This record gives sequence, C-alpha cells and structure tokens, in this order.
Amino acid sequence: MSDLVWLSMAELGRMVATKEVSPVEVARAHLDRIAALDARLRAFITVCAESALEAARAAEADLMAGKITGPLHGVPWAPKDLYSTKGIRTTGGSKILAESVPSKDATVVSRLSQAGAVVLGKLNMHEFAYGPEGLNAHYGDARNPWDGSAHRIAGGSSSGSGVAVAAGLAPGSLGSDTGGSIRIPASLCGITGLKPTYGRVSRAGVLPLSWSMDHVGPMARTARDCALILGAIAGYDPDDPTTSVLPVPDYAAALGGDVKGLRVGLLRAHFTDVATPEVRAAVEVAARRLEQAGAVVDEVNLTQIDHVAAASSAIVASEAVAYHAGWMRTRAQDYQPDVRERLRIGAFVSGAHYVRAQQVRALVRREVDEALAKRDVLLGPATPIAAPVLGERDATLGDGPSDVRSALIRLTRPINFSGHPACAAPCGVTASGLPIGLQIVGRPFDEATVLRVIDAYQRLTDWHTRRPAVA
Amino acid sequence: MLAPMEITVETLQRLARLGGFAWTDAELEAIRPGVLRLLEMLERLESVPLDAIEPTTQYRML
Repeated sequence: MSDLVWLSMAELGRMVATKEVSPVEVARAHLDRIAALDARLRAFITVCAESALEAARAAEADLMAGKITGPLHGVPWAPKDLYSTKGIRTTGGSKILAESVPSKDATVVSRLSQAGAVVLGKLNMHEFAYGPEGLNAHYGDARNPWDGSAHRIAGGSSSGSGVAVAAGLAPGSLGSDTGGSIRIPASLCGITGLKPTYGRVSRAGVLPLSWSMDHVGPMARTARDCALILGAIAGYDPDDPTTSVLPVPDYAAALGGDVKGLRVGLLRAHFTDVATPEVRAAVEVAARRLEQAGAVVDEVNLTQIDHVAAASSAIVASEAVAYHAGWMRTRAQDYQPDVRERLRIGAFVSGAHYVRAQQVRALVRREVDEALAKRDVLLGPATPIAAPVLGERDATLGDGPSDVRSALIRLTRPINFSGHPACAAPCGVTASGLPIGLQIVGRPFDEATVLRVIDAYQRLTDWHTRRPAVA
Repeated sequence: MLAPMEITVETLQRLARLGGFAWTDAELEAIRPGVLRLLEMLERLESVPLDAIEPTTQYRML
C-alpha cells in the first residue's frame, strides 16, 4: 500500500506544489486504499472515485499551467455526509435522504474546492448526527480501526471521519459537532479534531441537528492540517447569519512556536477527575509535558458544568424535533430506533424549559470566560473513556457508573454549550492499545492559540503518528 | 411550585397531539422513561439562581 496515504495534508500539498507527486497519483492511492479496506471499516457512505480523479486531473492541469490555489491544491479530503455536495447524494446517514442530491455545495465545501482540494467521497455518521456512538442502521456502523478483532465504536456522530482519517483512507475531513461529534471520534480514533468558536465557520448547506449548538470543523492527523483546513473554510458567510465578520488569521503561520509562559488551566472537577484512571493519568502526563516545555499550569474547577446535561438536552432536543417535525409525522418508521426515540422525547420539552436552558447557557459561558480571563487555554480529557465495544452500555467513571452515551458526551458538550473553540488530540493509549484523547479549550475566536498548543504538544510527543491495528 | 403531576401515557398522548404528533400508546410507553428522566433533570434547573441572567438569544459571538 502506498506511503502517500500516511502523509499529512501539509506534506502532500508541498509535494504537489513542487511536482514531486501528481494530484492524480495521490487521489488514486487513497481510492485504492478505500477499495481495499472500506468494506470492513464502513467509513464511506458514497465513494466518488470518478469525480475525484477528474478533480485531481484538473488540479494537475492547473499546476502545469502555473496556477496553484494554495497549500491544499490537489490534496484529497472527504466530508461527513451531511455537507451538501452538488450532484453527489447527501444522506445525513439517513434512509429519508438516501436519494437526496443537492444542487449546490455547502459554503465550506465550495471554499475547499476553490482551495484546490479534491473530494474522495462522503463519510458515514450517526443518523442525522444525533448520537455520540457513531452508529448507523442504514449504511452499517463505522468500525474503529484500532481494534482488529472486536467491533469497537468509532465515536460519533462524525464516525466515518474519525475512521477514514485514522486508517489512512483520507488525510482530512470536515465533521460537525453539536455535543462533541468532532472531538469524540477524534478521541476514540486517535486523530486531531477542532470544534471552532460558534460563528467562526459557516453552517450554510450543512444539515442541522441543533442550530444554536452545531459547529463545523476540521478533522485530520495533525494540528497543522486542521489549521490549513480551518484557514480555507473560516470567515463570514452571508448565507449563515451567525458567522462572524472578524478577520480570519493565518492559522498555519501561527504554528511552530513553543509554549513558554503559556497559562494552562487543568480542568479538574467534572473533567479530568471523572475520567477513568488510564485517561486521567494520560491527561495529567500531558499537562506535565507542557509544563516541562515552559507552560504555567494551574488547576481550575468549573462549578456550573453540573447543569449542562439537563440544559443542553433541552436545547438540542427542542431544536432537533423542530427540524424533524415533518418527517416525524410522516416517516417516523424510517428513522433508526435510537434517533427516533430521542426525537420523540424532544417533543415534550416546553418553551419555558428551553428559555431556562438558555439562561443556564449564559451562566456557563460566563464561567468559562472567567476561567480563560486568567489563562490562555484550558486542558482536560476529550472523552472520559476509550472506545467501547459495540453494544457495551455501561461505563464506570471517576464519580460512579454511567451509561456509555452520557459518558461519551460528558466532557465535550459543555464547550458546545459555551461556544468556545476546543480541539481534541491523542495523548496516550490504554493498556489494550486504544487511543486516549485530550482537549484544549480556548478563548472565543482564538483558534490560533488552541492549535498552537496542540501543534507544540505534537512536536513534543509522537501519539499522533501511531497507526491503528487495521492499518 | 405545583406538586409534580403524574406523567401517564394518556398525558403524553395529549401533549403529543398538541404538537401535531399521532403516536400510538405503545410508542409513547416506550419513550415514557426517557421523558420522565429528562423532565426530572429539567426540574432540577428550577433551583439554579437565574433571575438576573438573560437567556442566550444572540448567537453571533463577535
């Protein structure tokens, strides 16, 4: 199998630009690997081999004509299957939209195409992004590539993105994150995933789960690749009224520095302290590693986080059932059972509950802002557990038993609620060889510092370079 | 605060119809534990001091 599939997007872009490798060769290497492994991994819902090769040939022709669009010129990627792609079906992982073919690209897909990137296909996901396990009854469950024997979940909802990037089927992806759907599969699959600040990246043309909690962001193997993708997709979009008019910095140019003097708050109560002992130990070692590199680490407790589960459930459930009400009246039988059940429960949240939840949201955002007023970033685990076996229902956390679903979203959901940027990245492995993920949380619109910390950490450690069992 | 009311399938049926959903008793019985859990969680938010807090209604952060 070609080594091209293990190169970073940054490296592939450099090699394309210097004509060391053809975009067609790069696309073909990834398509060959998809053909060899995806029947087992189920990362893709739709593979676009012909259009990918056509786009790669066009990128090559542009290159030969002296036209290069930037660092992602001729570099392949694949979006989660809830991004509208012109002429390519966009299912949302559902039976309901199985034959839905958009007439227009989502804004972020269009921006990556303009940057010269090549779409390999559309990636698997929890149906309509409504579940952190990454299960799909219609297209099959994506399989975590780190365990070749057991069927472990990839985490979701961007499960195909986690698997494809971890297993070398695509060097980068766009996921979406409403309660952790970028960071959970990043953590469970051992890759890097960034949820930007709410409003930093356009959601136009992306199937919604919960308008006020949905975030769009990159998933790749390194912070540098996430920076390249973010640089291409971020910024104001008239088609998404929540996008910010703030200028977009050069995220990649902000990388490469050290962490000397950087103030890091280790999230203790409700975060690190509720993780399993292996996860807790790995995150504490990561904090010490940053400290040895010159960061100033202290401990921080966010006391309002206790209310997040109830309040964010009210918001997501209400907004989700509002979007799905029509289909829930006419096609309820076409949803997979867990998603149908969650949507039905949402119908019983009152308007008063919803507003109270939004009051709690303001309280939590204020508390995270206050913690970040004295620090540059916060650090904690991304998930309190490593990848469970499919069907495993119960987990034991630092503060007692939990169902797996609640455990998976427990440490990521508060940051959707507050809207701050957060990035997950690998920081260790369990005794059974499964990845452990940390997350770095930053100030609003300070993705540059979040990525800088992850990039510095990745230059100090090699967790992000490890390859899964299936690979 | 009013004493908590019992949430029966009949109660859910009425509320669902109010929302325009025609779900069977069996379908509602299946989700009743989940609805109860969520409503209990939401009831606990009543004790959070929020009187001086404006709800988040503007999502553009800058």
